[in-house]
Amino acid sequence: MTAREPDEVEVDVRGGRMTLIIAGSLAVLVALLVVLLATRAPGGERSGRSPLIGRPAPAIEGATLDGDTFDMAAYRGRWVVVNFFWTQCVPCIEEHPELVAFQAEHAAVGDAALVSVLFDDTVEDATEFFDANGGGWPVVIDADGGVGVDYGVARVPESFVVTPTGIVVERLSEGVTAAQLDEIIGRYEAAAPS
Amino acid sequence: MNAALGTAGIVLGVAASLLGIVTLAVGLRQKRPTLLETGWTYSLLALIGALIAVFAMQRALITRDFSVSFVHDNGSSRTPPLFNVATMWSALEGSILLWALILTGYTVHVARKFRRRLSDPLVGVALLVMLVVCAFFFLLMLGPANPFATVAVAPGYDGPGPNPLLQQHILMAVHPPMLYLGYVGFTVPFAFAIASLATGRMGEGWLVETRRATLLAWGFLTAGVLLGAWWSYEVLGWGGYWGWDPVENASLLPWLTGTAYLHSVMVQERRGMLRVWNLSLLCATFSLTILGTFLTRSGVLESVHAFSDSDIGGWLLTFFALTVAVTLGLIGWRGDKLRSPGRIDSPLSREGAFLANNVLFTGFAFVVLLGTVFPLIAEAINGRGVAVGPPYFNRMTVPIGIALLFMMAVAPVLPWRKASGEVLSQRLLWPAWSAAIVAVVTVALGARGLGTILTFSLGAFAGGAALRQIVLATRRQGWRGFVGRTNGGMIVHLGVVIIALAIATNGHFLHETETTLEPGQTILVGGHSITYLRTDVVEYSNRTATKVSVRVDGDRIYRPALSQYDGFGSLIGTPSVKTGLREDVYLTVTRLPEGVDGPVVLRVIIQPMAMWLWVGGGVMAFGTVLAAWPGGRRRPTDAVSAPIPVAGPEPLPDPEPAGAT
Repeated sequence: MTAREPDEVEVDVRGGRMTLIIAGSLAVLVALLVVLLATRAPGGERSGRSPLIGRPAPAIEGATLDGDTFDMAAYRGRWVVVNFFWTQCVPCIEEHPELVAFQAEHAAVGDAALVSVLFDDTVEDATEFFDANGGGWPVVIDADGGVGVDYGVARVPESFVVTPTGIVVERLSEGVTAAQLDEIIGRYEAAAPS
Repeated sequence: MNAALGTAGIVLGVAASLLGIVTLAVGLRQKRPTLLETGWTYSLLALIGALIAVFAMQRALITRDFSVSFVHDNGSSRTPPLFNVATMWSALEGSILLWALILTGYTVHVARKFRRRLSDPLVGVALLVMLVVCAFFFLLMLGPANPFATVAVAPGYDGPGPNPLLQQHILMAVHPPMLYLGYVGFTVPFAFAIASLATGRMGEGWLVETRRATLLAWGFLTAGVLLGAWWSYEVLGWGGYWGWDPVENASLLPWLTGTAYLHSVMVQERRGMLRVWNLSLLCATFSLTILGTFLTRSGVLESVHAFSDSDIGGWLLTFFALTVAVTLGLIGWRGDKLRSPGRIDSPLSREGAFLANNVLFTGFAFVVLLGTVFPLIAEAINGRGVAVGPPYFNRMTVPIGIALLFMMAVAPVLPWRKASGEVLSQRLLWPAWSAAIVAVVTVALGARGLGTILTFSLGAFAGGAALRQIVLATRRQGWRGFVGRTNGGMIVHLGVVIIALAIATNGHFLHETETTLEPGQTILVGGHSITYLRTDVVEYSNRTATKVSVRVDGDRIYRPALSQYDGFGSLIGTPSVKTGLREDVYLTVTRLPEGVDGPVVLRVIIQPMAMWLWVGGGVMAFGTVLAAWPGGRRRPTDAVSAPIPVAGPEPLPDPEPAGAT
């Protein structure tokens, strides 16, 4: 008698081959699924999430913190990063130094501008925040929240990248970095026919 | 301090699981029982590591130690105590920690349960597999999901607190742990499935040994899914409880394959058939929990629940791919040993019904999986995303659900092997009558549409069949007949029928209206009088709530609200629900009044039978407990047509007597 595990069952080669074929085809299917999932960009970074992508940026006109008025239309010919923020939100505070860096880098060159829009915030808090943390770019007060509604802002911080021709190309729904903004602008500059 | 302690716990966990893996692997390879015996120690050490880490995290949350970045990002001094504890699973890193805790808990449970058989290679491989999974989750916490990363804190800093949606309802404290107990619990039968494949011992022994763990995991998963639906109903304010969101689907997928397994495993215990199939279902269930975690945690899919984005995705996907590759490889390799010793004699038999049930459940799972990943497939093919919404899922799953109801009615009365028409007609007589009567009554009450009428009448059919079994069993055996798998299962069926009827009713008879009310004004909605009284602003430690007082039916006052959480921009609605046996009155504020005396915009939804969804869930949980109850059942190892064990050269240690645990 051959040594056999107690609960081993009869061998049937045909059944085994069938199992092998099914297991093989399942493996192929799952491999395809894995490749598909691995090559998808994260949903958060995928464009198309905002209906604004590819459309003209909604106008932003209004009073700023330092008492001026801001008009988006005057910024044609420059890249504009529209940043929605709230002084109490942690990711907003975290991304602030990056915005300062971005501003410092582009203010002199003049190829890109930054505008912040208060989201549900008081003028006092915001003034204090910018005094403490630096800034130097226009901050639109947006008292009635209309700009936030036009851009469909759900949760701050949110940033929109607008081309020199006034078209929204990216919506970034997390905190941004200066390098990331530069990379986006560089990518679209390279793609655009010059 | 907390961060150092927590990291120490995680390092202990990693070390224990990795050392355990190596030791067990060497022990298995060199057949050295003394090495295999150490599995218990390593499991225990891993659990201690997880406990230390959880303790450190809770301590950091309670003492508001903002130098721990997880607390920095998710904690707040304003969060009430209960939600502060639950903050641990409100974001990615903490939920992985909870996962690790539960997983090591299950591992120790397995090691303890099999403490006298640790030198048995089957148990050795199973523990090895569990330790591999433990190691993976501990490594996640050392790598991309580190809960104990530290940050520099500015003096006077206070964190934002967990996502407002997660601090709205007490269910948030219960739903995620339940769900994880379910998800993670399926690791146990999965580990034994791999072990039986690896050792070539395909007998039914391991099925029985892990039966209770599987049942409880399934029960926890069921409760977790339903509690999630309940939470969404009580919190999200759209009046529904299931929206086919990717995260909901991710929890449903393993539930579907797990449910299929619970049924088909009986065929294997009883007749030794469907071995490959059962192994595949277990592996599918486990892989789907990992895939589900990937889908919800990697941010690859858009979801209202995608509470976190991180670079954990690659790790989870790799782990998923490895799991599937290993199981398919093993099944392919052992294919020749998995041949079943018998055949299904007649489709009109218990095993035939279980097979049909399995086809339906896997079809269901496939439909849900396809709908969940279809947007990604479409994007890969034509570069544009496509939204797959509830219409697809409803159209595809309702017929499957109705077919399952039918199977639920017929299967319990079918005998094994072959049924005669005579037996069937006698056993199905009064369930069929109840189905017919209910069909007539539903039409008389105004239900239209084939789907609804079929659901009601088949629901009565299935309920009748389940009741018949319960009545017969208790009549035969008294209260003893009430416990055990068969009757527990029938009670679970009753719960499912209740839920199916509730879903059909509130889908069909739902009444929804949005209305503007002046203070003191009353309207009638679906026979309920709704009076708007006034608006108050209430300050809480973590939020400012604007509460609208509404008197319903001249009776109690309900207060739906809109809240502004400190640290978060948008307004969060809190519905208020008058729960009733017959129907719920569901109130949400859609626009606040301007000033104190202004009009308010209210949405009123009359949800018939909503409460029965949760009652049905309770019945299912009760049935699961009864089914898992230790009792003097016939030992399923004495399978009717499985080969009789032959003593080999290396006899196995004596299995524990049934019911000894």
